[in-house]
Amino acid sequence: MSTTVPAVEIAGLHKRFGKSSALAGLNLRVDEGTVAGFLGPNGSGKSTTIRILLGLLRSDGGTARLLGGDPWRDAVELHRRIAYVPGDVSLWPNLTGGQAIDILSKLRGGVDHAKRNALLERFELDPTKKARSYSKGNRQKVALVAGLASNAELLILDEPTSGLDPLMEQVFTEYIREVKADGRSVLLSSHIFAEVEKLCDTVTIIREGRTVEAGRLDELRHLHRTVVSVLLDRDASVLLGVPGVNELVADGNHATFTVGEAELGGVLSALSSFNPRQLVSSPPSLEDLFLRHYGGVASASGTAAVTETGTAAAQAAGAR
Amino acid sequence: MSIAAPHLHAAAAGSSSGTFAGFGLSVRFILRRNWLRLLIWALVLAVMIPVVYSSQHEAFPTQAARDAYANVANTPAIAAMTGLPYAAGSLGGILVIKIWMTLAVALGFAAIFLVTRNGRADEEAGRTELLRGSALGRHAFSLANYTVVGGLSIVTGLLITLLALSENLPTAGSWVLGGSIAGVGLAFVGISALCGQLSSTSRGANSLGVAVLAVFYLVRAVADVNAPDTKVTALSWFSPIGWGQNMRPFSQDTWWPFLALLVFAAACCALALRVESRRDLGLGLLPDRRGPGHATALLASPIGLALRLQRATLVSWLLGAVVAGLFFGSVAKAMTSVLDPSNPYAQAFLGGTQNMLNGIMGTFVLFNAMLAGAYALQSLSGARAEESEGRLESQLAGSLARTRWLAAHIAVAAAGSAVMLLMGGWLTGISSNGAATGSALAGASFAYWPAVLLMMGVLLFLHGFLPRLSVSLSWAVYGVSVLVAMFGPLFSLSEDAIKMTPFGAVPRLPAESFALLPLAVLTLLAVVLGALGIWRFRNRDLTGA
Repeated sequence: MSTTVPAVEIAGLHKRFGKSSALAGLNLRVDEGTVAGFLGPNGSGKSTTIRILLGLLRSDGGTARLLGGDPWRDAVELHRRIAYVPGDVSLWPNLTGGQAIDILSKLRGGVDHAKRNALLERFELDPTKKARSYSKGNRQKVALVAGLASNAELLILDEPTSGLDPLMEQVFTEYIREVKADGRSVLLSSHIFAEVEKLCDTVTIIREGRTVEAGRLDELRHLHRTVVSVLLDRDASVLLGVPGVNELVADGNHATFTVGEAELGGVLSALSSFNPRQLVSSPPSLEDLFLRHYGGVASASGTAAVTETGTAAAQAAGAR
Repeated sequence: MSIAAPHLHAAAAGSSSGTFAGFGLSVRFILRRNWLRLLIWALVLAVMIPVVYSSQHEAFPTQAARDAYANVANTPAIAAMTGLPYAAGSLGGILVIKIWMTLAVALGFAAIFLVTRNGRADEEAGRTELLRGSALGRHAFSLANYTVVGGLSIVTGLLITLLALSENLPTAGSWVLGGSIAGVGLAFVGISALCGQLSSTSRGANSLGVAVLAVFYLVRAVADVNAPDTKVTALSWFSPIGWGQNMRPFSQDTWWPFLALLVFAAACCALALRVESRRDLGLGLLPDRRGPGHATALLASPIGLALRLQRATLVSWLLGAVVAGLFFGSVAKAMTSVLDPSNPYAQAFLGGTQNMLNGIMGTFVLFNAMLAGAYALQSLSGARAEESEGRLESQLAGSLARTRWLAAHIAVAAAGSAVMLLMGGWLTGISSNGAATGSALAGASFAYWPAVLLMMGVLLFLHGFLPRLSVSLSWAVYGVSVLVAMFGPLFSLSEDAIKMTPFGAVPRLPAESFALLPLAVLTLLAVVLGALGIWRFRNRDLTGA
């Protein structure tokens, strides 16, 4: 993979809007044939980065390469090879969804009618309705059908499922897997951790216009701690002195704490001497990773929430 | 608005419940969002009174001069364009001839645009939903909208009255002057309230409102042209503008048509609110029809898309040009039969029949050019709307160069305005019964194309350098250019100063002789400004609303 040109390569990217700085040294890389997740809270610079990649905004510093070309100068040629699905889809109110799909596809180079019709059916979208009457989810579907019907080498998706219901999200997931199986690349900006964990090979987490974490998803997991929740036969404060136990929250006989990969064995053997009645250990999720970067308070309470209520809390945090 | 909504919620919850809960708060909110527009409309319109008064005082300094004018004032052209000159022998009456119609129609336009801006446009953009979701009565915001824009009419009328009084014009006449203009404004608040309920788009609401205004203007024009002497005809009562005219400030000073206009406005608003409670949010009365599931090859091309997006604008302006051309032609025709070459007043005042006819033809052609200029600006500002409403992003994410996209919109505006000019001029000529030929007036009209292109150049320049303000600023430039070309002499501007403005620079054929130089200069300016704007657009960030 190292011999081929990366689909996206961004280093030290800067962008200012007047006095406020939107990007302050952002790095991002999407290797050919991979699905890259792009995570960050609202206003952290995800859409700005994507707009620079599309040649809609001009960067103020740093480098950005798209399929080996300059995203500003070579925009017209490069855009024949990419497909873009915006997060907030704005359509012509007087035209139908089908007309919008054809216009957007044609601008990219052409329409694959078989693929278009299959997508319309899968996404259950009526192409004869005027865009004015579409809900947010249906407008999103128009952009998705136009984007996915192309044979683009790189798909740039900016929160593409934010208006879709779970069934449609499932359809979307299947299509992205197909894209990946074809050896094409995807840049997926998202808020939904489950989606990124399910689909992405690599993930880049940004905050206030800077990259704070980047790497392969499985590697990143190793960097972080397992969350352990135990019920002991005595007061859980005995765990205070155990080496390797971090962020301990003890409540009577019950305790939650985090433990690093290297210390896990030692902590487990120490635990066995306290006769644990229950023990739940959760692998580090992408959400932990994410929350860890957004304030100490969020990190501590976030991890506790995951151990207690499981994926429901994770979904809620993701949806937020 | 997202910030205002919680406030509305909290405050409205405390006030009375019902469909008008939160009315006071809505009024304040609309005022805060529109105060500058409201102020500009009121001041610009009212200030015309002292400006025009002083110029007319200078033009007709003695009663003898005014009496002489009164003998020739009642021509079909004056009757059709500005109404019957019933008191041309007094300064107040001359003031009414020169400016009443302009002020009344302008206030009508203001009412239409403002009511739509705060009504249907907000609903279309989804902002109304946000407000209605809070504890705001169903009709509170609409009623507040009508009240504020109605207030603009009243305030403008009052200012007009006060400024007229300060010129020592008769008291009763001054009040009737202000009242008659305010009354027409109020009538169009009611009309635009209805339009905003019937149409499901802001564009549709504005077009419908303007079309109704045009029809009412034509109805009273036909009535006034066919009036015996300066007597009010029955037909003029079929138009609210006619009601305002028939109040006859500085002559009969009739008050009751103002009350009729007030009742008309209130009835229209009440009907609009009734429609509002019967329909779903976001919809008009007419349901949306389905459309084709595929785009044709033409539609999927940049020029085809631009043409499709401007289709409604283009068709309605072309229709406007046809109606205006035929109307102007028929007025010219009426002039030829009325003008008597042996009339000594006509000779003394206007330097002969043919000159007078040519002068009037020149005015008609200028009107035609104004229409074409307005179309060109409205059409080209559609390009800015594509950008600010986020649709350009998806297009440029395809393999489309910015210049190619913009060129399509420029082509539609430029070609459309050329067709409007040629057609409007030609129709005026052929329907004028020999006062001028179709080809002569088509040519005279087309001479304004460089001025129209310059308006587009200004918009393109601003679109490059000041995208967010480009549309409103270029309309301001257009407004000033048109005002100076139409009313320059009323502002006591010198001929040379008028010749320095876009529409004033064009030789006013057929009265003046053709000159290539001003047209070449206008074209050059248009190209330079346009090219700078396009260059800047190629190098700048896309900007939202």
